[in-house]
Amino acid sequence: MEIPKWKTKNLLGIESLSKFEIRKILTLAKKLKHEPAKNKSYLAGKSIVNLFMEPSTRTRIAFELAAKTLHADVISIAEKSSSLTKGETLRDTALNIQALGADAIVLRHSSPGSPLLLSRIIDVPIINAGDGAHEHPSQALLDVYTLEEKIGPLDGKKITILGDILFSRVARSNFWALSKMGAKVTLAGPSTLVPKSFESMGAIVSHDLKESLADADAVMLLRIQHERQSSSHFPSLEEYTRIFGLNKYRSKWLKKDAVILHPGPINRGVEIDSELADSGNSVILDQVTNGVAVRMAILCLCTLSYNK
Amino acid sequence: MKTICLKGGRIIDPSTEKDEKGDLYFYDDKIISPKDAKNIEVIDVTGKIIFPGLVDLRCHINDLSGGNCENIFSVTRAAAAGGYSTIVLMPNLNPIPDNPATIQFIKDQIKRDACINVKLTGCLTKGSNGKALAPLGSLKNAGVVAITDSPLSPQDNQIFCKAVEYASMFDLPVIDLPRDLSLSENGNAHDGPSALKMGLGGYPRIAEELFVQRAISIARSLNTRVHLSSISSFASVDLIKEAKNRNVMITADVSPQHLALTETKILNYDTNFKTTPPLREEVDRKYLIDGLMDGTIDCISTAHEPIKEYEKNIEYDLAPTGVTSLETAFNISLQQLSKHQKFTWVNLLKFMSLRPSEIINVEGGELRVGSTANIVIFDPLKKWKYHPSKSKSRAFNTPFNNEEFHGKVSQIYLNGKAI
Repeated sequence: MEIPKWKTKNLLGIESLSKFEIRKILTLAKKLKHEPAKNKSYLAGKSIVNLFMEPSTRTRIAFELAAKTLHADVISIAEKSSSLTKGETLRDTALNIQALGADAIVLRHSSPGSPLLLSRIIDVPIINAGDGAHEHPSQALLDVYTLEEKIGPLDGKKITILGDILFSRVARSNFWALSKMGAKVTLAGPSTLVPKSFESMGAIVSHDLKESLADADAVMLLRIQHERQSSSHFPSLEEYTRIFGLNKYRSKWLKKDAVILHPGPINRGVEIDSELADSGNSVILDQVTNGVAVRMAILCLCTLSYNK
Repeated sequence: MKTICLKGGRIIDPSTEKDEKGDLYFYDDKIISPKDAKNIEVIDVTGKIIFPGLVDLRCHINDLSGGNCENIFSVTRAAAAGGYSTIVLMPNLNPIPDNPATIQFIKDQIKRDACINVKLTGCLTKGSNGKALAPLGSLKNAGVVAITDSPLSPQDNQIFCKAVEYASMFDLPVIDLPRDLSLSENGNAHDGPSALKMGLGGYPRIAEELFVQRAISIARSLNTRVHLSSISSFASVDLIKEAKNRNVMITADVSPQHLALTETKILNYDTNFKTTPPLREEVDRKYLIDGLMDGTIDCISTAHEPIKEYEKNIEYDLAPTGVTSLETAFNISLQQLSKHQKFTWVNLLKFMSLRPSEIINVEGGELRVGSTANIVIFDPLKKWKYHPSKSKSRAFNTPFNNEEFHGKVSQIYLNGKAI
């Protein structure tokens, strides 16, 4: 299979992508998913560095597996084992990784815009694996992939993202991706975590759970990061569950075959009932599986478009 | 010694509201009357604009020793290039000026290195940590012109209230950069549409407005004055306007950056647009310009804050705030205000020389017979581009890189001597 051309070596976010480019990534992901393993040596001889400055299970492992499946060499660096603990700046760390001959850097960092910063400094492709509350493009792409697999084309579909939107990169990337694919996106949750100002991005904002779930084709739940926000944003996890938690009764407000997504890690019994997380409507584990295929596509496009 | 005659220029004197063609004579360090002039050296300044040296109420240099960044030598050269004859240093220096000995130490450095007037502020609280009052009376005796914790603001209302009351005994101006930290602790951007997309924010307008109201209430109840530094929110302008209508002794300034730029500039995570307070929206910018023009806001301060390149060019949320401004402030202000229907050169010079001098009780903003000869010659036709690498400042953190300007300061005299 021939890997299509890609205009830029970096994947920094979804906001700057066109619908056509999103489709290109997803189409390649689908082909790669179904291609026999022995044929997938597209990145043989390439070195991918996973620079993860924040904790991650799914994203890091999915990028590692994706790179290994493509026969690339993978090195994963976590903050605690890097020289950043010795006071080295991110830019110096990245310059060193480039000097060591890496072919792509996958970056997870708590600072919004840090992948863009690196892309200005170094030539090696930068793939954003989550930057603060800004973007998490690979997550949004795998979510679109999973949704299309389960409910078909997204044009005109009502999709609700529920939970902590303000501090969520997943929400932002998904909002861009889903609306570019034609879906009507509602952002829902408590007013302190879903301020009305999101309407300036073109989103529908709702603080009424019933209204936001009514006739939705899909609902994406986000983890409530109570440890991160001060207690000023909402009173307690119990109160959150009582007002905004998704349970079996409330899931009836959704369309009959609506699917439930969650980027993980889930807090069972908080944003979602345990039973519901394991139900037939839940596609949470499909998301994880598809995450590998989507990341294979991203690694192929970015790495192969870069000529040293 | 010769008398110098600047001949045929357009002379702006904000203190007398004069804007007319004429000749300006000065001998030694004083402006003199033509009839007292002898032994005259004529300098033809036809087509040029002559005005008093500018005065800046908010200038930071952060580190006295300078290291590889700004120090008193470089900051005064940058200020002179921008038309300033007087700058007021904020107290976030190293060492921090919260005692008379440090003031004396800094004054010695100024004496050695400065090429223009450098006035000092003292800390309002010890170490500017907001916990206990600094020795304000001793600082005044040591020569500070105002007290402030800028760029911080004392969070404790009791401390701030008592500081204002105590300082009023010495007729010592208090400058506050209004910011409620409980509402803006991790604030790295204005809570507007740009920051929302970028995953930034945390410095909303109300963090400023609450402290603007605090200053107004204190000034009103104590019947004393407080100066608000670097106003950025449109609602702050309304609060100040209402207070002034009630004759509350409140004064305020705004930075040229806030007159010219809005939050959309940060969309590329360019830290050279990260300021304290943050750039806000078009509505704020318009209010700030109108506020100046209707007298609500008294003056323009540069908010010059040099930062080393490697410290500034990092992750946006981790980067320090602040931009350099001394060499662009006058041009930016002229560029922004000259579009306004009420613009006059006299007004502009009031904002940038007369009013700031009045607020800190120092000489400035006048070209009358007997005034000190701090004089700027400005060439309104000269076109130039601002390149930080060619500037006198040793820092590069400008939001106006490569900006093209019309008009340039071509000469400045301090105490009658060309710099």
